[in-house]
Amino acid sequence: MAKILLVEDNEMNRDMLSRRLARKGYEVAIAVDGREGVEKAKAGAYDLVLMDMSLPEIDGWEATRQLRAAAETSALPIIALTAHAMSGDRERALEAGCNDYDTKPIELDRLLSKIKALLPGAA
Amino acid sequence: MTDPSLMTVSGLRHDLRTPVNHIVGYAEMLLEELDGPPDAAPRRALQETLDAARDVLSIIDRDLSSARTGVSPRDLAGLYDSLREPQGRILRTLRDLLASGAGGGDGFREDIERIVRAAERLVEPEPPTRGDEADAPSPRAATAAGEAREAAQAAILVVDDVEDNRELLRRRLERQGYRVEQAEGGRAAIAAVTRQPFDLVLLDVMMPDVDGYEVLEQLKSAPATRDIPVIMISALDDMASVVRCIERGAEDYLPKPFDPTLLRARVSACLEKKRLRDQEKEYLAQVRRVIDAARAVEAGAYRPGGLAGLAERDDELGRLARVFDGMVLGVRAREERLRDRVRDLRAEIEAAGGSGKQNGTVIDGGNLQPGERFAERYEVRAVIGAGGMGSVYRARDCELDEEVAIKTLRRELVADETLIERFKQEIRLARKISHRNVVRTHDLGVWSGVHYLTMEYVEGMTVRDLIDSRGQLGVSASLAIGTQLAEALAVAHEQGVVHRDIKPQNLLLDADGVLKVMDFGVARLAEYQSTLTEAGLVVGTPAYMSPEQLLGESLDGRSDLYSAGVVLYECLTGCLPFEASSPVSLIAKLLNEQPRSPIDVNVDVPPALSGLIVELLAKKPGDRPASAQELAKRLREME
Repeated sequence: MAKILLVEDNEMNRDMLSRRLARKGYEVAIAVDGREGVEKAKAGAYDLVLMDMSLPEIDGWEATRQLRAAAETSALPIIALTAHAMSGDRERALEAGCNDYDTKPIELDRLLSKIKALLPGAA
Repeated sequence: MTDPSLMTVSGLRHDLRTPVNHIVGYAEMLLEELDGPPDAAPRRALQETLDAARDVLSIIDRDLSSARTGVSPRDLAGLYDSLREPQGRILRTLRDLLASGAGGGDGFREDIERIVRAAERLVEPEPPTRGDEADAPSPRAATAAGEAREAAQAAILVVDDVEDNRELLRRRLERQGYRVEQAEGGRAAIAAVTRQPFDLVLLDVMMPDVDGYEVLEQLKSAPATRDIPVIMISALDDMASVVRCIERGAEDYLPKPFDPTLLRARVSACLEKKRLRDQEKEYLAQVRRVIDAARAVEAGAYRPGGLAGLAERDDELGRLARVFDGMVLGVRAREERLRDRVRDLRAEIEAAGGSGKQNGTVIDGGNLQPGERFAERYEVRAVIGAGGMGSVYRARDCELDEEVAIKTLRRELVADETLIERFKQEIRLARKISHRNVVRTHDLGVWSGVHYLTMEYVEGMTVRDLIDSRGQLGVSASLAIGTQLAEALAVAHEQGVVHRDIKPQNLLLDADGVLKVMDFGVARLAEYQSTLTEAGLVVGTPAYMSPEQLLGESLDGRSDLYSAGVVLYECLTGCLPFEASSPVSLIAKLLNEQPRSPIDVNVDVPPALSGLIVELLAKKPGDRPASAQELAKRLREME
């Protein structure tokens, strides 16, 4: 079963997304800010990270850069989540090292297909 | 990021979308989790919620597109208004669902409540119209209703040169139950606050005629308007001017475009602070009333009951007012008793021959003659007394043009230089006593070899004259004498001065019945003299002397209390506690015998007063009342 690390500071978003992913059969771990996200990602064996980009402590952009810079997480799939449907966010996210990008509100099916595409064993 | 207005639009979009994201996310999730038929009530409600939330999103995208560079207040108001329709649908649907009790377990209800809270955060909901939603008032709605009631009286002045801004604020604030006035510029704002009181001013910084800084400064410098809270209105990016305003006394600021939740929170917080401050001011005003009342008491102008209203408060201040009023009533009663007693004393004085003119009649033995100029300053008018110490004259102080009494001291008394020095010391102390019942000592001087004292001249008679003329005095008049004497002694003893020669001859009464004790510090001179000459103990009459004084022991104020007891005894009975044919046998009696109680001599003397006098005449100082203060208190309170 795939293990996903959800890095999200908003409690409602966290609760919602983790419950929905769990129902779809994923094992979900939680980090509440960028620093904790980086620490957990490095320490645990995760298959994928869902990274909110506006986070306290260090934001998602910086956390992504740090994960990419570390040997043990340099290849870990990361999907950026942003609330701003700003043009340019997608490019920025990819530039920072994210593998994909999605906007809130989450459309679960869309997000699930992006997750599946990035997980090991995917075509 | 560099264009502030752009940031504002994106920030606003973010703020509005966040709760919608929560609504959509939870609704979708719950739909996934729900079992049961597709037309079951919870599923229908969640579907409706999702539809409404999607409407909200499309309104946000329409009105706050990424291409926009700014939002006018009017646009913002329009946006909020259009968001309220789908918001209302969500709230109604979900509250109905909660009220029906339908759905899954506790977890489900909790999730629905979270969606409701997210929907409430979206935009300030329309206030429910009367009777609407009465079935399911949320705690929040109850609070809002409370706020509206409280706000009903608050008057807010909105100052902005842009009509749209004023209009927007007015509508919002009025909807929250405030009374709103508008001013289109600084000048109009100043005019408005001087015309009527406001509870809060919302003040734009940039205005063409008189700007916000100037208005703020004027408001904060005038006592009448200083306490009106001011919330500055400024563009989001203009932190420098916000700081400037807060330094000048503004309470808070509101960024444009107005966020309704922020507006509501800041306005109600400001008004609450003002309410507390007003309460505090009112409290302090009441405290000031108590202080004023205390001053009035000192000035003799306080009327009991003057703190009415205040005394009815059920807090500490009310209690203070009640206690205060009660105390004043007690003091009043004592003062009235004293006034009655003095009135009786005056009647006795009048009966004894008026203000004692007989004192000015010829007394032999003076060195100075009437009409004589003395010490190049005083013109002698009359001899008014002669005794063991010397003579007393009435004279005019030509320098100050006032009447004085001059007491010349017999040469033998002042022959020794060191004694003179000690005497001066004594007089210096006595001069410090300032009391209405003490004859003021002015100066000690020497002229042509004659040592003399000048002092306040009191037109009147001595208690000696009064007793001699009346035989004995009534209880009331005696109490008037005793109380005033005790008060004079209390003040003197406090200054460290013991009189040592309290006797009726040294107690003057003016025509108003005011008693004045004279010769403070003077008796000491005679004592030195007797020690020096070893001529025995008797200087003047020993009848008023305490046993310790007669024995030449060290003494304190309680010796004066003994003498006061003798004076009171004599006033009430017309005789002395001990009488004998020779000084030697008198002293023997005085040291060894108990006097007859005043009540045994005169049945009219109240038992309590008689007992008090017996106490004063105790042989041992320790058996007498402890102080003149205590004696005064006991005499004042005697019925």
